[in-house]
Amino acid sequence: MNFSVMLQLLGNGMLMSISIFLLTLVFSLPLGMVVAFGRMSKNTIIRGIVKFYISVMRGTPLMLQLILVYFGPHFLFGVALSSNYRFIATIIGFSLNYAAYFAEIYRGGIESMPKGQYEAAEVLGFDKFQTFFKIILPQVVKRVLPAMTNETITLVKDTSLASAISMVELFDVASQIAASKSTIMPIMVAGLFYYVFNFIVAFIMEKIEKRLSYYK
Amino acid sequence: MGQVLLEIKNLKKTFNEDLHVLKGIDLCVKEGEVVSIIGPSGSGKSTLLRAATFLETIDGGEIKYLDKVAATTENGVVKYASKHELKEIRNYFGLVFQNFNLFPHFSVIKNITEAPIHTDHVSKDVAYERALKLLSKLGLSEKKDAYPCELSGGQQQRVSIARALAKEPKILFFDEPTSALDPELTGEVLKVIKELAKEHMTMIIVTHEMQFAREVSDRMIFMEHGVVQAEGTPDEIFNSDNARVQEFIGKF
Repeated sequence: MNFSVMLQLLGNGMLMSISIFLLTLVFSLPLGMVVAFGRMSKNTIIRGIVKFYISVMRGTPLMLQLILVYFGPHFLFGVALSSNYRFIATIIGFSLNYAAYFAEIYRGGIESMPKGQYEAAEVLGFDKFQTFFKIILPQVVKRVLPAMTNETITLVKDTSLASAISMVELFDVASQIAASKSTIMPIMVAGLFYYVFNFIVAFIMEKIEKRLSYYK
Repeated sequence: MGQVLLEIKNLKKTFNEDLHVLKGIDLCVKEGEVVSIIGPSGSGKSTLLRAATFLETIDGGEIKYLDKVAATTENGVVKYASKHELKEIRNYFGLVFQNFNLFPHFSVIKNITEAPIHTDHVSKDVAYERALKLLSKLGLSEKKDAYPCELSGGQQQRVSIARALAKEPKILFFDEPTSALDPELTGEVLKVIKELAKEHMTMIIVTHEMQFAREVSDRMIFMEHGVVQAEGTPDEIFNSDNARVQEFIGKF
């Protein structure tokens, strides 16, 4: 295998890692909001279920969750799965896991909002929907941004866990080439890629934070 | 004085089942009247205001705005009007908070126009025109694009008064409007309220500013331990022979 073939393999792995990252965000960011509302629900049953869900997601390894989502349907229910289920399982596993973390960040942000904001909105005649989307959510976004940056950076690195169910993403490719060719080089390339990727993520998040710094 | 705008009868509020904050308050406010409510901390003044503006639910009594019953008690059970009716009744009043509670992510002009546009469905142009008029009246024209964090406390409180006025309420409530301000900044807020009084805006003001209350009010109410202890014109209150009123006012 020459150098350019290796780079091409690694490049394909990178694209897969990026796909996992982006799709996980697409699904887990809104899902996290739903989970956060469940967690804050006045209904004790809903709240209890959601609390349990969050504790399982946070209390067990993501790698284990991925394996369960991927193999579970077959071994538990005997479902025959199509060949592209591996990718779907990866996205489901990541999204469920990250939604739990995002939910707790959102909840922290929502609960940190002063009561006076709700009261002012109520007296001015805003309904609950308007109050949340016009008054509360924009301020919550600003409050949770630093924590979200952290979590997003963790997600970039966590994409490597998809190798546990043989997803051909960057880490999987790099370690396979490293093992078969007895070279550390692909691992170094992968490391550099994760670092640059996160550098960009942090840069973008910082830009967003700056954009929201027009008020205190 | 015109028609009765607000009528509160035998209002009761209890916290944690045994803390009786309001023990049967009666209050009637007519159009154009300025009523100030004074009394020591914990007397129930703010709770009364919050109950009147539906920020606290009541445990007994009646609240009526004009001919609309907002809450009433039948056989010991409090019944509030429907959500729809309450929304309508909310348009009768505005509330100015002690801590302003401006929306920090909105500019001054947006703080003022957002509610008329989205809750009263006033057109954008009309809302802006109204807001600009209010800002110029309150001496804040040049601050229209500023954010609340860029303003002094006194300016913020004036914006919050403008925000309440932009909904063109029939009654304006003030919950200790100067308590969060530096002594230096209270004057500019009190001046605004005095000007509103001159225009015969109906106002109910909870305040610790005795001289201001004396000047601005048609009627003063002294509350303590959840009941109205004394009520009358400012002169009557300041010359009251009620020992508690004398003692309280004497401290200022």
